[in-house]
Amino acid sequence: MDEYLQELEKKSIAIIREAKAQFKNPAVLWSTGKDSTAAVWLCRKAFFGEIPFPVVHIDTGYKFPEIYEFRDKIAKEWGFNLLVAKNEKALKDGMSPKKGALECCTQLKTEALKALIEEKKFDALFLAIRRDEHGIRAKERFYSPRDEDFRWNYKDQPAELWDLYVKPSEDFSHMRVHSILHWTEFDVWQYVKEEKLPVNPLYFAKNGKRYRSLGCMPCTVPIPSTASNIDEIVQEIKTSKTPERAGRSQDKEKAYMMQKLRSLGYM
Amino acid sequence: MPRISLVVVGHKDHGKSTLIGRLLFDSKAILEQKLAEIKAELKESGSPEFEFAFLLDSLEEERKGGLTIDIMHTPFKSDKYLYTIIDCPGHKEFVKKMLTGASEADAAVLVVSAKEGIEDQTRQHAFLIKTLGIKELVVAVNKMDAAAYDENRFQETCEELKQILLSLGYSDPPMIPVSAMKGDNVYKRSQKMKWYKGLTLIETLDQNIAPAKLPTHKPLRGVVQDVYPYKNDQQIVACKIETGKLEPERTVIFNPSGEKGLLKKILASGSSTEKAEPGDSVGLVIDGIDTVERGEVLSYPEDQPKKTRKFTAEVILLSDIQIRNGDEPTIRYGTAEKKCKVQKILSEIDPVNLTIRSKHPEILKEESVGEIEFLALEPLCLEQHSIFPELGRFVIEGKRGTAAAGIVLEIQD
Repeated sequence: MDEYLQELEKKSIAIIREAKAQFKNPAVLWSTGKDSTAAVWLCRKAFFGEIPFPVVHIDTGYKFPEIYEFRDKIAKEWGFNLLVAKNEKALKDGMSPKKGALECCTQLKTEALKALIEEKKFDALFLAIRRDEHGIRAKERFYSPRDEDFRWNYKDQPAELWDLYVKPSEDFSHMRVHSILHWTEFDVWQYVKEEKLPVNPLYFAKNGKRYRSLGCMPCTVPIPSTASNIDEIVQEIKTSKTPERAGRSQDKEKAYMMQKLRSLGYM
Repeated sequence: MPRISLVVVGHKDHGKSTLIGRLLFDSKAILEQKLAEIKAELKESGSPEFEFAFLLDSLEEERKGGLTIDIMHTPFKSDKYLYTIIDCPGHKEFVKKMLTGASEADAAVLVVSAKEGIEDQTRQHAFLIKTLGIKELVVAVNKMDAAAYDENRFQETCEELKQILLSLGYSDPPMIPVSAMKGDNVYKRSQKMKWYKGLTLIETLDQNIAPAKLPTHKPLRGVVQDVYPYKNDQQIVACKIETGKLEPERTVIFNPSGEKGLLKKILASGSSTEKAEPGDSVGLVIDGIDTVERGEVLSYPEDQPKKTRKFTAEVILLSDIQIRNGDEPTIRYGTAEKKCKVQKILSEIDPVNLTIRSKHPEILKEESVGEIEFLALEPLCLEQHSIFPELGRFVIEGKRGTAAAGIVLEIQD
């Protein structure tokens, strides 16, 4: 493996082991996208093949069929404990993107996750967000505490020095642990290639279009692309002039949507 | 391409974000769509004109207030390196965020305005990055456009700054006259300062900074992260290597417990490997150990860390903390968490004026810096920072996380 990728991997594995040692009841979030698949893979490597905590998938009910297929196939092959979080009540009451993306994401993702955390008493969650994805995510720490109401106080975060990640003793409901915060989109694809990780077929171009970032069907649009395998995707990202999450409606600069979502506990 | 992580420090409004924005813009690290989105948003909100600092300020409050609240990591390329820049806020209450960024950096760029000259946080930030152990420093004398591109003004600023930096232990760092706003001497050579014959900022960075070398030549030190069960009733000791080289079939010792065993296997995520180096987080299968636990320090028996209880440290208080004589805070070094008694606060340092504010004060308050003599309640394996930085630094744990940072000045047996 490329030396730099090895460095990234080492740091991630060290962080995962730190969090496992410091928290009683962690879990890893898995959207089935390339980033969280890499993050789940890193958990496997950190614990020599067997992930000693559950893998959580948040199902909004609006995901692509390919996402469910991929999820169930990998869960079986890798043999981990898969937990699915779903806000059935909100769905039954008719929650959909038509009610507004802020409301929909909050109900179907954040609230679904909240309920599962409360039920399972998770005190740490591994999340595969990266600094280069979005300006607001660049403000994150490796250890990012959430308060009782799940809020992220981005204006007053504790310091994080060297690799001394500290667990607070008060005022937090759970810790978000960002084990691949320091990776870029390019790094992840290189890693997927080197490690021969399985990827969702939606990432590969069909009829001149492919998904560069996976979300819910109504709120995710494909980008024009001819990249139909991993090598071609790596090449495309190298020369791309548009951001990775251009196809994700909750990310637009306008109205600081992502900032509001994240301060309310969104991923 | 080798990578360098840079922290940009300096007094508020001296142009740190603007300089970073300029570096990102001139190196074409900013994507077109991002630029277009920001410009559209500025137009909509009636903001006067596009500023480079906006490239970094992604929080609503930051753009409105025109200041950077938190650190930001954005990569850009030169001919030689891929740089990751960490922007640091300049408001004095934000020291903890600056240190968060600086603790990851290979080198620092100190921005000082030629127009305003040296101010409080110019000195304070220089002091703090030196305390954290950042050896490489480059000075950007900014806002030359607002100082009529005047050579004398540049020289005056340099002279004054040189004295301060020298007193901190930075001898003769390179200083470049720039205008981040107009783009002079950042990437492009200035046509307005023909009197300046030196390198541009990016050329200076390329020439003066080298990627950090792994400390493989030092004695072996590793920190135990955790212990996992393994087949045949054995254990895997998860260990992060800090310095030196680890090889199998050698006797290793864990301190402070003193437990010894023969290292049979090094597991790097599944497969066995023949060696482990600094930065590696590996699993160790060792014959003859059974009570090793998180927090212990691995070494070879021939060159072990000293066990110590008494040490002095320079401590930077960040937030939610006060330290008084007799307090017993928990410190974290490596993976160990230990209670240490504050035997005596030796002095409080004024990080702005770079003088000793008081000797033997009763209390150190939030955001102050002081020298403290500690007595650990049980033996620990801290090292002197100047010899083993990896195990010579610690944090003090607070209710909300890291409350203070410490650098070990001296260890007493």
